[in-house]
Amino acid sequence: MTPSTPPRFLLRLLKSFCKPAYHADIEGDLLEFYQQKLAVLGRTKANLLFLKEVLFLFRPGIIRSITFTQHLNNNGMIKSYFVMGWRNILKSKLYSSLNVIGLTFGIVCFLLIGLYVYDELTFDNQHQQRDRIFRVITHEQNPNNDATTVAAAGFMLAEESRRVFPEVEKTTRMQRVGRANLVDPEHPVNIQETVTIADEYFFQIFDFPFVEGNRVTALKEPNTIVITEDLAMRIFSTVDVLNKHLQFNHMDTPLKITGVLKNHANNSTFNFSSIMSESTQYSSEEFKTEAQTDWASTSFTVYALLKPAADPTAVSNKMTQLVHANATLEPGTKLAYTLQLLKDVHLHSADIIDGARNSNVDSIPQSNPIYVTVFLFTAIFVLLIAGINYTNLTTARASSRIKEIGVRKAIGAVRGNLIRQFLVESLLTTAIAFVFAVILVALLLPSFNNFTNKNFSLITSAGIGFWMIAAGLIIVIGLLSGGYAAVLLSRFNPVSLLKGLKFREAGNFSMRKALVVVQFTISTIMITGTIVLFMQVKYLNNTHLGFDKDLMVVIDVNVGRARTNFEWVKNEMLKISAVHHVSVTSRVPGEWKTLRRVKAKSEGTASPHQISYAIGADRDFLSTYNVTLLAGRNFANDSDSTAIIINEAAAKMLGITDANGQVIDIPQIARNSFFVPIFDDVNDSFKPRLIGIVKDFHFQSLRNRIEPLIIAYQHNPIQLIDYYSVKIAAQDIQGTLEKLKAIMVTNDEREPFEYHFLDQQLALFYAEDQRSQTILGWVALASIIIACLGLFGLATYAAEQRLKEIGMRKVLGATMLGLITLLSKDFVKLVFFACCIAFPIAWWGANRWLEEYAYHIDIAWWMFALAGGMALAIALLTVSYQAIKATFINPVKILKAE
Amino acid sequence: MKKIQLGEFEEVVLLTVGVLHGNAYGVTIKDEIEQRLDREVTIGALQITLRRLEAKGFLTSKLGESNEIRRGRPKLFFEITAYGKKALDYTKESRDELWKALPKLVLKLK
Repeated sequence: MTPSTPPRFLLRLLKSFCKPAYHADIEGDLLEFYQQKLAVLGRTKANLLFLKEVLFLFRPGIIRSITFTQHLNNNGMIKSYFVMGWRNILKSKLYSSLNVIGLTFGIVCFLLIGLYVYDELTFDNQHQQRDRIFRVITHEQNPNNDATTVAAAGFMLAEESRRVFPEVEKTTRMQRVGRANLVDPEHPVNIQETVTIADEYFFQIFDFPFVEGNRVTALKEPNTIVITEDLAMRIFSTVDVLNKHLQFNHMDTPLKITGVLKNHANNSTFNFSSIMSESTQYSSEEFKTEAQTDWASTSFTVYALLKPAADPTAVSNKMTQLVHANATLEPGTKLAYTLQLLKDVHLHSADIIDGARNSNVDSIPQSNPIYVTVFLFTAIFVLLIAGINYTNLTTARASSRIKEIGVRKAIGAVRGNLIRQFLVESLLTTAIAFVFAVILVALLLPSFNNFTNKNFSLITSAGIGFWMIAAGLIIVIGLLSGGYAAVLLSRFNPVSLLKGLKFREAGNFSMRKALVVVQFTISTIMITGTIVLFMQVKYLNNTHLGFDKDLMVVIDVNVGRARTNFEWVKNEMLKISAVHHVSVTSRVPGEWKTLRRVKAKSEGTASPHQISYAIGADRDFLSTYNVTLLAGRNFANDSDSTAIIINEAAAKMLGITDANGQVIDIPQIARNSFFVPIFDDVNDSFKPRLIGIVKDFHFQSLRNRIEPLIIAYQHNPIQLIDYYSVKIAAQDIQGTLEKLKAIMVTNDEREPFEYHFLDQQLALFYAEDQRSQTILGWVALASIIIACLGLFGLATYAAEQRLKEIGMRKVLGATMLGLITLLSKDFVKLVFFACCIAFPIAWWGANRWLEEYAYHIDIAWWMFALAGGMALAIALLTVSYQAIKATFINPVKILKAE
Repeated sequence: MKKIQLGEFEEVVLLTVGVLHGNAYGVTIKDEIEQRLDREVTIGALQITLRRLEAKGFLTSKLGESNEIRRGRPKLFFEITAYGKKALDYTKESRDELWKALPKLVLKLK
């Protein structure tokens, strides 16, 4: 009979506190005592008594002291882990370098993309009160059910919210009203700037750092302006400009500089270079009366600073009520307000129209949250692939370390020691890779900055938060990638290890296979994604837009004389031999600013008015842009000022097939997102004759369908001309530009000569796609390289393991091709399998993305075939190198060694 | 000889080790005291006293055999040293002297 034992945990408890020297015999005594009691009293009572005895042993004299020797031992062990880890890394240089290279690639990708994503996610983070700053968003629906969402609100809304609502601490109004020349009155040099106006609370809500000036009073007085260092340098060549004066050339009074701001941080949605005080406008009676009654307009961008713990939904509901109580709205108009958190402005404003949409200024740049998500995942995936590599290589090579593990166990290493040993090794590898990666990132950063249009630096831009996250993630990856190997390898029984028995490898091997499949699945998805993205961007840039965009110089009309005297300017320009065509228009195709919209219908039909875009153009428009006229005729002379040409889409909308002077009724035009009558008389309407129909051309981004477009004559009630489009010859572009500038300046000396090349401007539509394509392309490349490094390692190892088999087979007459097939087919099978998983996922993802574009490529089978083929070819190349090397070995050398 | 001071329990344990001569280890000592003196002894109290006596030099110990019940844990046998014996003698003498000095009258009062 085996003696029954007391509860184990009590024995363990005793062991934990008892002096080691006393423990053995005391425990013996206790056990003997227990047996005695057990025989007499039964189990329960014996257990209780035992418990009592153990507890009474817990007394000074028997409790062990906390000894230092224990610690010294641990330190020595930890040191040994590092020494051993380092030696192991040095011992197998091939595998170590494969590991390090793979991890380095992974970490470089991760860090670069991480910087980008971190930057996107921390936009506008520099404001202390960012969690309480909200932008007021107006949702309006007019009687015709046209709904718009605008990041703007009325003057009084800001004024009264601040005064009436206890939850609102402050509000501020900002306007971006247009662009004008800003000059130093003493040395007038025209510099065109966006005119931004804000009230005195602006700098109390936002923490833009002041180099000079007082943030509380800077915008209080009329005729004051705050400028950035950059603008100060451009105008004055110094930042010491406090109390100097500047003047917008459309204004009468000069503005006193009351503050100089540091330049904007890279991740700021604000890009103003100057801010004029709102009180400057108060002197105008017109502004005053309008402002007093302005409850429901969308003329101001309003920011509200809420009290801590205020509920933004409740506040916005109150705002809605406030406006409804005070404003006189057109019957049928619905109006509601919401508050958008400042940090959402950058990434989550896709459906929100910029407050300054009608004022000829660039809208605030936004970003696409889809790309940010995609990048975030790719960054983590690449790191994952690199981690998997490590796991795979380590477990694959386990059998070469069998003896080591066996000996360690035999001389007393417990499992914990071995696990720590392996973990330290993987952490060392990761740390080395990390150092290399940081160096590489530092080297790559300038070119990375260049094409992401950001300005990262290794230390300053991301801050401690980013590096903490990065370091944490990398340690986690190190632990995970080493962890599986550590747990697996430390598990074996030392006796069987030392006897030289092989592992039962089946289980681990299938795990390894699964990991390879995961790696190649991710890589194939990325390759497919890159191909689709590449094709789409190529399609976007190469699709014939229905008009000529090459060698087209677009010159902005910035001064009055450039508009009124355009016939003279055109004639002068045409005298330059390199100029082929000149046209003046209100907007140009591929317009990056707002297009006017009008309501139109064929006169005499019963159908309701429908919405169409409208531009004004002269008779040279069609020839300059090479737009095809399908029916009717072009504008001929000024008698056509009541004539229009429409595009196919508009013809379809209006139900017109031929242009023969039908009268089109255009009563309304969109202003501030509402349709208002064109003429002062509400019942009057613009009634032009239809003289021509042109072929559809992509006057907007290819993301949008071609909408109906009405081309009115240059002199029309809808919109005046704003641009010259000059088609020039390819030779000596710089010289031509100089001549064009000379003409413009002769026309008006204040002319700033602002121009763009149309094709470059159009490419800006797709700049983000292009950028993403490049990033994704590189990442896909890196991921496939990393996966292949892993595969290379595995193949090398597999070939080494099977050397004897290969030798035998060679002796027995195997052909080289047969051997290569033998060694490669396992891996190729895996890659093939990975493709099968990757394709549906890639197909789904690519479709989702392409849906964003009205005009997009169709996903073709060959894209998948190419991606799969590439993955397969690269894998085959990697593996067969090892296979070929193995087959060249002389079988005698291998076989005689046994 | 002035430094020798045995506590009451120490004296009991020391004497019991002597009584058990050659078979004195934790369990037997505990049993012996409990039987003879009809008082309960915890292993904790006993062990700490034994170790203290050993540290003072009144006892020596040596590891002995084990058995299945003890699951391989050795018995630790104790023996009185010459010094220990002296201590016992001294204690006894000092008590005797006190006894002798006690007036008969006092005893009769009982």
